Amino acid sequence: MKQGPAWRAVVIALFLVFMIVPVIATALFSVSTRWDRTIWPEGLTLAWWVKVMGRSAFQDTLLNSLAVALATVAVSLVLVTPTAYWVHLRVPRARPWIELLAILPFGLPGVVLALGLIRLYSSVPLPLINTANILVAAYVVLTLPFMYRSVMNALEAIDVRTLSEAAQSLGAGTWRTLLSVIVPNILPGVVNGSLLVFSTVFAEFTLANLLIGTRFKTFPIYLVEFTRFDARQASALAVISFLFAWVISIAVLYFAGRGGYRREPVGGR
Amino acid sequence: MTGATRMAGANDPRRRPSRRGRAAWLGLLPLLLFTLAFELLPILMLVRSSLVTDAGFGLGNFGRALTPTMLSAFANSIKLSLVTAAAGVGFGGIVAYAIVTTRSVMVQHALTALADVTANFGGAPLAFAFIITLGSTGVVTLLLQAIGIDLYPGFRIYSVAGLAIAYVYFQLPLLILLVIPALLGLEREWREAATSLGATSTQYWLRVALPILAPSLLGSFLLLFANAFGAYATAWTLTGPDINLITVQIAALVRGEVQLDPALADALALLSIAIMAICVAGYHFLTGRVRRLAS
Repeated sequence: MKQGPAWRAVVIALFLVFMIVPVIATALFSVSTRWDRTIWPEGLTLAWWVKVMGRSAFQDTLLNSLAVALATVAVSLVLVTPTAYWVHLRVPRARPWIELLAILPFGLPGVVLALGLIRLYSSVPLPLINTANILVAAYVVLTLPFMYRSVMNALEAIDVRTLSEAAQSLGAGTWRTLLSVIVPNILPGVVNGSLLVFSTVFAEFTLANLLIGTRFKTFPIYLVEFTRFDARQASALAVISFLFAWVISIAVLYFAGRGGYRREPVGGR
Repeated sequence: MTGATRMAGANDPRRRPSRRGRAAWLGLLPLLLFTLAFELLPILMLVRSSLVTDAGFGLGNFGRALTPTMLSAFANSIKLSLVTAAAGVGFGGIVAYAIVTTRSVMVQHALTALADVTANFGGAPLAFAFIITLGSTGVVTLLLQAIGIDLYPGFRIYSVAGLAIAYVYFQLPLLILLVIPALLGLEREWREAATSLGATSTQYWLRVALPILAPSLLGSFLLLFANAFGAYATAWTLTGPDINLITVQIAALVRGEVQLDPALADALALLSIAIMAICVAGYHFLTGRVRRLAS
């Protein structure tokens, strides 16, 4: 059997068609006047885009999602970066345990995490259940693998010990060393992890739906609501989500090439 | 403390006072407390309440939780995960091989980038894109109609089969990303050696290449299985509550749509964690072994 270029071209073409057609179709549908009787759109219009973007709920949910995503990135950075540095430099024996904590969310379906959190906190008098706080906490856990691996991979690529000792011999304390010496050296990893966390949270539906639902609407929740009653406007929202995912993925690819970490799946689909 | 004494402590592990070594563990406290509160305790809570029955500790809840509806939910979830993981490994493996053996580096990079971007798609927007594409008045449905192929009513995108197609959309690129490194590890010389010893192409694949790729393929299969098993948003957007999957059932219990003894819900959740955890652990075991063999 000779591997000519013919089978390869066919395989790659089929792959491209399968991956690209749904996206193109959705984009075209969002600018079509009508496209449910003919094989080609009956006309083109930007009306659905104008209509959906003019809604106050559109802006509100987009801002809610941005806020939750940024808050998650901030909490995750503060929690994970110093810990990863500390584990790497001072407590290598803790490493398998921290690693386990960071891998665990991969095996935790979103619905199960939501169930556990509601069971645990529904009767606790803390401002958690039904607020964005619990959502941010859940997202930090859900995306822990991304942030941890990105930062750890970046730390492994540099000589943490020598850099730390050099900084400390010049009189820098632990925090100063971390912020002015280590972080600039692992910046691609930190940025990479932050982007992965951001894009995951921005697109997350399951936990948002189950933990707070309609009380604090995120963009994906708004999108799913729209799919039930206006397909054209929903398609514009879907295209916006795709564009977001694209832009961030391309940024991640750029940083991953510089010592970052690529995504593995996590139970949020 | 001066920098010099810090350095001495850091340089020589034997001279590092053990009290400082133990104190260093305190630095992990913030992350440990956070994961305890929002990762471990929620799971432990489910473990405890699923094991507590009227008669004390026991597995009774698990038996009671597995009603015919729930058993069929598990069966559907497992079937959907098996089929889409197998499709991902089968088609994805072939596409990955095509990508790796493409001579143009630019095409290789472009296709890998496409897999990278699309592996991150999923959930609501993806499900909706498939409704637009393969729904009853979907774009491809209409196109096929025009050339004389009627998808409906034989096929429905809002069914398990439709859901499987949407899942394959994110399984395929994920597998490609997972398997490309292993494919790149296949040395050209191995093939030449096999050929020079008189092996046919089929023999090379069955006796040399596939056994080398097996741990990576099997590990990726497990990860894809877990990926599909835990998925909820795509199924919910595409089919709503009509489809009987275990994640849809658990979500209905969380929202209180179905009245059920909480212990039963927790038993269901725990069973799904067990299935997912086995798959993810299997993935890490198998791919860890690949890495050890390669080094």
